Amino acid sequence: MTTITLHHTLPRVFEQRTDIHSDVWLQDVTFERGHLYLIQAASGTGKSSLCSYLTGYRHDYRGDICFDGHNISTLQTADWTALRQRSLSHVFQELRLFPELTAWENVQIKNQLTSHKTEGDMVAWFKALGIADKRDVKLARMSFGQQQRVAIIRALCQPFDFLLADEPVSHLDHENCRIVGDIILEEARRQGAAVIVTSIGHHIDWPYDKCFEL
Amino acid sequence: MRLIFKLLRQHVSIGQLMGFFLANLLGMLIVLLSVQFYQDIIPAFSGEDGIIKNTYMILSKRIAAVSALNGEAQTFTEADIRELEQQGFTRRVGTFTAAQYQVYASLYMGGVGMGTDMFFESVPDAFVDVKWPTVPEGEVPIVLPRSYLTLYNFGFAQTKNLPKLSEGVISMIQLDFRLRGEDGVEQQLKGRVVGFSTRLNTVLVPESFIRQSNAALAPHAMTEPTRLIVEVKNPADDAIAKYIQQHGYELEDNSLEAGRATYFLKIITAVVMAVGILISALSFYILMLSIFLLVQKNAEKLQNLILIGYSPARTSLPYQLLTIGLNALVLLFSIILLFWTRHFYLEQLWQMFPTLSEGSTIPAILMGLALFLLVSLLNIFAIRHKINSLCNN
Repeated sequence: MTTITLHHTLPRVFEQRTDIHSDVWLQDVTFERGHLYLIQAASGTGKSSLCSYLTGYRHDYRGDICFDGHNISTLQTADWTALRQRSLSHVFQELRLFPELTAWENVQIKNQLTSHKTEGDMVAWFKALGIADKRDVKLARMSFGQQQRVAIIRALCQPFDFLLADEPVSHLDHENCRIVGDIILEEARRQGAAVIVTSIGHHIDWPYDKCFEL
Repeated sequence: MRLIFKLLRQHVSIGQLMGFFLANLLGMLIVLLSVQFYQDIIPAFSGEDGIIKNTYMILSKRIAAVSALNGEAQTFTEADIRELEQQGFTRRVGTFTAAQYQVYASLYMGGVGMGTDMFFESVPDAFVDVKWPTVPEGEVPIVLPRSYLTLYNFGFAQTKNLPKLSEGVISMIQLDFRLRGEDGVEQQLKGRVVGFSTRLNTVLVPESFIRQSNAALAPHAMTEPTRLIVEVKNPADDAIAKYIQQHGYELEDNSLEAGRATYFLKIITAVVMAVGILISALSFYILMLSIFLLVQKNAEKLQNLILIGYSPARTSLPYQLLTIGLNALVLLFSIILLFWTRHFYLEQLWQMFPTLSEGSTIPAILMGLALFLLVSLLNIFAIRHKINSLCNN
């Protein structure tokens, strides 16, 4: 997949509003593979909704969203499964990890599906992000910041053309934010993929190709 | 897959699954037992070792008062016979042919003479349970019903202080017959009783003799048979009773009882099986409710798995395997219990019918497999459908 295009897209919940001044909603916007995008937004402007639409989890919008020119409203469950395994990776704002499993198992559950990374790669990321000692700890016993780093490692355990990172560093300190930025960027460059980061203020310091106000 | 199982086994209720297991086991066992018991008991009604061995039936048309007064013929037409021959239960059909002339029989024994009017009938030789001996020219062999001899020996002779007669003695008595046909044509013949039939309740002579004598003495008489002898494949076949009932025919003896008993047995089996299937259906409902509750409790996990790239098929698999495993256990246990129970009732049956052969267990096992497949397939589709609905949030 090389492009994601939005044509006059608007969440249905905003349909009654007349004060929409957004770089994304009701505009023609194109995201291209290999670029870095930042979408800045205040709370309640539909940032997570946008991510849900792009990952096929929600369809409550008006207008069109196209992947490589194909309207995503025509995609079937099997198409979405294939996209989520090979083209679209997502760091969810609410993380969507499994508290019953350990940090390592949370990452494994994804890598077993894609067989994308070696154990060594994953161990190295755990070390770099300072959670190597939490590897076998149940996720429920980790802080939100630690869980956020596990979610980022999990999102990198697959091939992707686009990585959607919904407030990926909201609970990380400056140093961890820098390390996360380096790891994601390195992986995205290696795959020639695009990264779309959303933020409500605190964000990774990257040379973004384009910034949008939502 | 291990991690998926670890994740999705959360909220599995052992109590609910045990409830399903026991209910389904009971339902399945009742179904299998009813099939197996039917298989085991049916040889007691039919087959070579059965209590009913009489495969010959003698049919006549019911004589109603009105038709008798009208002079309506109670005879079988060619079409009646052909229809009967085409029935699945029929092996072959023979007709009773009556002599179309008058017969007067007399005998002289110790200087005392006795005489009586009588009649002759014949059936095809293959239906006669006595082999016709070759007799000299001008003599006719006769077969009498065994019941006549019994009637004489234990009824008539006993009360009149007459000597009892054995078959051997009777066969030595020479009989004289005078046959009187159309236009007063007469024929004199000698005859001898050559045997006694338990099957045929008439005065029998060879079919060839009846044909020749009818041709000679009553060439213009053309009558249809009033009685038929039918050899059936299985006297316990309930189709015979239905056919006879529908056509208003009558049987000479009570050989229909086996068919009626079989029919009754079939109804009982069907009712018991229906109860078993109902219990199975209810237990299936319990399982589906239990699994749906499980899916609902784990809905968030299932959605998360789907959002990180797992297919609905793969996320359904643990629950599908769980239900298939449970169903397989139910099948296994019900087959074990079936054989265990069967062991007890077979002992009881053998006391009543010592020569009874065991029925095949294959139909019951096939029935079990069919139920297992049906329930498992329904489970698989229902679980998949439920998990698919989570994808389309």
